[in-house]
Amino acid sequence: MERRAALKSMAMSAAGLLVLPAWANGWNKTSVVIDQPVLSGRQQAVLAEVVDTLIPASDTPGAKELRVQDFIQKMIEDCYEADVQKKVALGLDSLDTMARQTYGKDYAACEPAQRRELLLKVQALEDKEQKEYYNLLKQLTIQGYTTSEYVMVNHYKYTMMPGHYYGCVPVSQ
Amino acid sequence: MSYFNIDSQKANTYDAIVIGSGISGGWAAKELCEKGLKTLVLERGRDVKHVTDYPTANLNPWEFGHRGQVPLEIRKQNPVNSRGGLYSEATLHFAIKDDEQPFVEDKPFRWTRGYHVGGKSLLWARQTQRWSQYDFDGPARDGFAVEWPISYNDIAPWYSYVEKFAGISGNKDGLPNLPDGEFLPAFEMNCVETHLQGVIAKNYKDRHLIQGRCAHITDPKPIHHEQGRAKCQHRTLCVRGCPLGGYFSSNASTLPWAEKTGNMTLRPHSVVHSIIYDEKKGKATGVRVVDANTNQMIEFHAKIIFVNGSALNSNLILLNSISSRFPNGLGNDSGVLGKYIAWHNYRARISAEYDGLQDKTTDGRTPNHSYFPRFRNVFKQETDFLRGYAAGFGGGRATVQDRDGVGLDLKESLLHTRLGNWRVSSWMMGEVIPKETNFVRLDPNLKDKYGIPQLRISADWDDNDEKMIRDYHEQFTEMFTLAGFTNIKAVDSHAAPGADIHEMGGVRMGKDSRTSMLNKWNQLHAVPNVFVTDGACMTSTSTQNPSLTYMALTARAADYAVREMKKKNL
Repeated sequence: MERRAALKSMAMSAAGLLVLPAWANGWNKTSVVIDQPVLSGRQQAVLAEVVDTLIPASDTPGAKELRVQDFIQKMIEDCYEADVQKKVALGLDSLDTMARQTYGKDYAACEPAQRRELLLKVQALEDKEQKEYYNLLKQLTIQGYTTSEYVMVNHYKYTMMPGHYYGCVPVSQ
Repeated sequence: MSYFNIDSQKANTYDAIVIGSGISGGWAAKELCEKGLKTLVLERGRDVKHVTDYPTANLNPWEFGHRGQVPLEIRKQNPVNSRGGLYSEATLHFAIKDDEQPFVEDKPFRWTRGYHVGGKSLLWARQTQRWSQYDFDGPARDGFAVEWPISYNDIAPWYSYVEKFAGISGNKDGLPNLPDGEFLPAFEMNCVETHLQGVIAKNYKDRHLIQGRCAHITDPKPIHHEQGRAKCQHRTLCVRGCPLGGYFSSNASTLPWAEKTGNMTLRPHSVVHSIIYDEKKGKATGVRVVDANTNQMIEFHAKIIFVNGSALNSNLILLNSISSRFPNGLGNDSGVLGKYIAWHNYRARISAEYDGLQDKTTDGRTPNHSYFPRFRNVFKQETDFLRGYAAGFGGGRATVQDRDGVGLDLKESLLHTRLGNWRVSSWMMGEVIPKETNFVRLDPNLKDKYGIPQLRISADWDDNDEKMIRDYHEQFTEMFTLAGFTNIKAVDSHAAPGADIHEMGGVRMGKDSRTSMLNKWNQLHAVPNVFVTDGACMTSTSTQNPSLTYMALTARAADYAVREMKKKNL
């Protein structure tokens, strides 16, 4: 039930995309044509499973269901330098390679437990550079998930207009 | 100059011209229009209508594609203006592009501009503390600048006047160094603020922690309803523009009020090039404007001119107003135009944790914080640096999330955040001493896209600023320690001057026309029908957020100007 509500509200937020009036046109990225997406189709598929593995569905929707992978892709494309973009793409490839070496199948085809094992392995790497892409993806996954409408409204009880500030109240729970 | 026939000259003639529509220009517009003057308000940027032109005001966090972050490409196209903290996806439409007004940093300087109707009144921090006599006494007592030509008593009734209209919340604290005003009820302080307040009261005779006074309507009066403004609803999304008019801005308050009189003509896209000086009449007769859409130069005429272009841009306009009578800028007989620029020192911060009050937290959101009025060198000189600093203080319970997990454990910890210790922080607001060596001038060659010379800014910190930062860190470490705060971290951002967005001076007020530009009525000594009432007029900066003082000075000057016009003195 809760999941269905989440999917519905997701659809609504897509319709609520930021539309700026004509005077702000100069700020839109209309002139930018992306010849090639930063991530290949295969890399995108791995990304979606990484997101799903980091924050899976349970009795509430997981990050993948909340389309956090789309948010991450937009962030990577618009807000990061080319070298970071490349690191993310190569990182997702390396994860796929690791999956094939360890379990004999693509990352996306692995069982959830196997996908989790692989991420834990990357997270435990000593070499910071090697897991740079992972740290970024994890950070963006958490950001995308915790700022999603579903989580903000249902779990953090976000309201735009609280209407008050009480400076000293007992801790309830 | 282009040829004007008598009709078009008439069509372009008003009683008064106001250059700029920000916090002080809005007040000039309101006062002059209310007093019956046909007033032309020139704004170099586009129009921003209250409510309808706040496109992000009602967006939820998840409705920003980049969650507030500005795409890299836009940042790269605007390396100068994207440095400021206000540069976010939510306020990008209020930022200017680098090619709008390039300038030369002789030394690093952050120049934040709000070039749209309402200016920075949409983006300000909304803190509104009065100056006291001790602030006005500063330059004369300590000998670092010319004497202020006005005292607290001159401006006090005008503080009251603007406070009642704007709507200022606060407590009557009864402090001689921070006079009380016409206050609406104050916002609540929180437990950690009142805890520190108690510690300060117990340990120091001359230090006080009070609730900040801010331009938010906490209990609307008929005058606010009449403006169409409502009670602040604690959205804390102020910089996007407030559809409720919960805080004061030109857009929500003074400009619609001026418009209602039928006397205001607001002309956006009007980049002021210079003020026209008539040698025979011995006064200014109008303003040259470059229309930003057509690039055409147009002249407008009026009996009086209010210059409210924001501090440094007002300097630029006067410097660019050249005539054979004033070859070095309008009214610049003294040679001080552009000099004695000062600002506020916001470099220092200090943060800490508090593990007390574990059973207490806060509920809702506050647009305000608490405030330490200046306690250094207030009544007499007592340290090895001049003047002093005020400080902001705020805090709240931190939420703790364990982010180490992968999978359901991570999800659980994100959904069920725990309350951590109280986190507190304070930031210094130090007085910077105006000096001749901190100045602006026109570049002799470089021009902007309107053909207006570029401003060269030459301003830097000095030893007094460094000493003040050290003292702030020491004093606040001591006070935080007394309060039982732990994990105390003192930080110096080493930010360039201007990052405080409180640049002031260059057209300073003073008693003597040989050492100042403006008299006690904000009139150019040498051109009495030109008034400068924005930050450019400031003789010294003291430590209070300056907007309230600009509002009061503007209303006072407008009142004087109209009285003088009636007496046919202008």
